[in-house]
Amino acid sequence: MKNFQIRTKMVNGVAVLYLKGHLDAHQVARFEKELIRLIKESNFNILINGQDLNYITSAGMGIIMGYIDEVREKGGDIKLCSLSERVHETFDLVGFTEIYDFIQNEQVAIEKFSHISRKA
Amino acid sequence: MVVELTRHITTLFNFSAAEAQKISLAIDEAVTNVIKHSYGNATDQHITIEYFLATGGIKIRIFYRGLPPDISDEEINVSKMIKKKKKGGLGVKLMKTIMDSVTYETVEGQNCCEMIKWQKTI
Repeated sequence: MKNFQIRTKMVNGVAVLYLKGHLDAHQVARFEKELIRLIKESNFNILINGQDLNYITSAGMGIIMGYIDEVREKGGDIKLCSLSERVHETFDLVGFTEIYDFIQNEQVAIEKFSHISRKA
Repeated sequence: MVVELTRHITTLFNFSAAEAQKISLAIDEAVTNVIKHSYGNATDQHITIEYFLATGGIKIRIFYRGLPPDISDEEINVSKMIKKKKKGGLGVKLMKTIMDSVTYETVEGQNCCEMIKWQKTI
């Protein structure tokens, strides 16, 4: 079974999820559990940093799809940053790049969340 | 294992690394659908995968028993799925986007998912 790791860090009020390895149907429950935990604890500004994410299937993308509406209703967002070209292309294949905010690096992404918070 | 095998076979038959990666993802999605929906996540069931190599393309057939897939020809709309808070359904969209043809049929209780990918002509 391929390795998958998930780590969360709070950066300027943004919950940054660092995904590492191979996120498929076998591993997705851990990702969903962490996302649910963040939302339950009222963390609605969520950034997924995929710098070390090698592979993602529809199972992982489905989790992001399943919670984005709730997070946006609460005034937050789920953004993604630092994806490899290969993983970014997988998101693009299902049309996510037209719906989600994909940012090249973490710092710029965090600043985008600050902009949302100031407007609110 | 099937992902690595598919990537290896498609690379051997002159698909680019990027195309081989995408085809193996489509097969991953198809097999995951079978295990999840047709076999209810049971891990002791059989799946047979056949690779047919032809000039200009590859045909992959996945044979399995259990429940037939719930596949609609309707265009999958991600915005609508978000509003419905759906988590599933993207696998079929990926398969249909990546492959040139995805068809399902059931013959005498055995289901078959057939996928075809043609090589890009330069």
